[in-house]
Amino acid sequence: MLVWFLPLFLVFLLIGLPVFFAMLAAPGLVLWFNGQERDLALLYRNVYNGMDSMPLMAIPFFMLAGELMNRGGITMRLVEFSQAMMGHFRGGLAHVNILSSMLFAGLSGSAVADTSALGSMLIPAMEKNGYSRRFAAAITAASSVIGPIIPPSGIMIIYAYVMEESVAALFLAGIVPGVLVGIGLMLMTAYMASTRDFPVARSRATWPERREASVKAIFPLLTPIVIIGGILGGVFTPTEASAVAAVYALIISMVILRSMTLKDVPDVFTKAALTTSVVLLLVGAAMAFKTVVSLSHSAEYLAEFVLSLSDNPLVLLFLINLLLFVVGMFLDAGPAIIILGPILGPIFVSLGVDSVHFAVIMCVNLTVGLATPPMGLVLFVASSVSGERVEAISKAILPFLAVEVAVIFLITFVPVISLGLPRLFGFL
Amino acid sequence: MLNTVLGLFDKVLTPVLAIGRNLAWMALVLMVAIIMAQVISRYIVNSPLSWTEEAARFLMLWMTGLIAPTAYRRGGFVSIDMLLTALPKKIGGVIALMFLLLALLVLITGIKLGLNHVKSGWIFNSSSLKIDMSWFGYGLLRLKLAWMYMALLVGVILLTVVNIELVLKAIQRLVTPGAGLEAADPLAVESV
Repeated sequence: MLVWFLPLFLVFLLIGLPVFFAMLAAPGLVLWFNGQERDLALLYRNVYNGMDSMPLMAIPFFMLAGELMNRGGITMRLVEFSQAMMGHFRGGLAHVNILSSMLFAGLSGSAVADTSALGSMLIPAMEKNGYSRRFAAAITAASSVIGPIIPPSGIMIIYAYVMEESVAALFLAGIVPGVLVGIGLMLMTAYMASTRDFPVARSRATWPERREASVKAIFPLLTPIVIIGGILGGVFTPTEASAVAAVYALIISMVILRSMTLKDVPDVFTKAALTTSVVLLLVGAAMAFKTVVSLSHSAEYLAEFVLSLSDNPLVLLFLINLLLFVVGMFLDAGPAIIILGPILGPIFVSLGVDSVHFAVIMCVNLTVGLATPPMGLVLFVASSVSGERVEAISKAILPFLAVEVAVIFLITFVPVISLGLPRLFGFL
Repeated sequence: MLNTVLGLFDKVLTPVLAIGRNLAWMALVLMVAIIMAQVISRYIVNSPLSWTEEAARFLMLWMTGLIAPTAYRRGGFVSIDMLLTALPKKIGGVIALMFLLLALLVLITGIKLGLNHVKSGWIFNSSSLKIDMSWFGYGLLRLKLAWMYMALLVGVILLTVVNIELVLKAIQRLVTPGAGLEAADPLAVESV
């Protein structure tokens, strides 16, 4: 029985075999025991064909763009812009942190890049301003989750590729949910600021000051508009847009701001290549895995089981959110999406849930998982940037996680939040 | 004895992987340049190039094959290692070793399948990557797809060597506790 590869896979995964090997070893072993050795060659070919893809090339390019923005002093301009806009509120720097994350999200597709770029700048600044270090680290981690929700987004590119969705539709669908997470975090901050007497960062900026900050930040602020506009307008494909974003960031940081020299180039590119290679291998393995999922009809068996729990899509969506949340606690968003997308997606689409809506639920939920203890990657990054213990940050982040969970359920049960924009642009 | 073998592995692997990393970042530079050329040729020069996509994919595959082994060696392959670290050292070590052997099995099977895959690639020509050699008295020289297929095979072979090194290290850790305890850094390779 080929279906046994799924439990075998789970055991491998939970005990600690790297995801890449688990996705190949489990189906491979079962095929081998079944005497279907010929299909092993199919597995190998699918790994190769899965990696050999134009849409996937957007991942290294966006990685690169994020890495470059990170070095190039572009982050600083975004923070200054946020300061001028929101610095005068009580809890000013906390708000600045959140707004910067939202702006940074429009440039990079990764929560990790967001945390390390903004954290290394804002956590010391917040501490100097009178916040506790754990709070500063917690708000940085919590808001960095917006990075992969607001486009461009690495995990959405992966999801679109593995599940054959339109990247543009997913990008559009992520905008409002991402902004909602930001607003939710700001409301929580405002509440905490009034009860805990947070400091203001500066006096209210005058309009000329604001204009100056905007002009200085104009290039990074325009990037997301160029990317999304270019894709929507059919000017370029998402992959081309990502290459343009990378070149653009390179020009800004090397020619205009001169914050990077030719000497830094190998290092930046190597980092992007290193990160990408792991993701590409995973996607390749996922495509092989997906073939076995359909060969074994395991999605059908699983669907039968899921439907036996309830046939109400709303109840099932609630349950699936719990499942995703737990998975997100232990696994990074990218691999989790690669594993669960092909298994869960078809079940919910057949229940009448829109595929783009489901994609957003999955992406947002698993991204929030990046900031949940015990295994939230972003928590580790925030800890290494700030020098605060992970446990302390984990505790301080709880109120913000509560907000994010609320947003997840809002997105789940009000589809128009994600589907409004794609519908407006004719993708649905 | 084990130490000498591990030293030998280190002596060979470290420079080889360094070469791979250098080729990989240069491949990424070229990829960006090629895709930019594609955009420019379409809009500015108004004569779209036919070979850019395939060339960029060629480079991306080689980039992956050449640099992924470094990621594996630095502990950058995603896994859920909570249980392994929570278990008593001896038991965790034995399981880790068994998993490394399982990974080795996957990789060795991969080499076998990869060789066949590459062999099949000599039959197919690339659709767009060709050089006109008529100047030199030859016809059109088309790139065989095998050159593209080879990227994954080379990656798998390098991963296998890294994996063998990891197996030896795991054995060393079991035999002499406390040795070779540079813990893998989970942040050495970022994730998406």
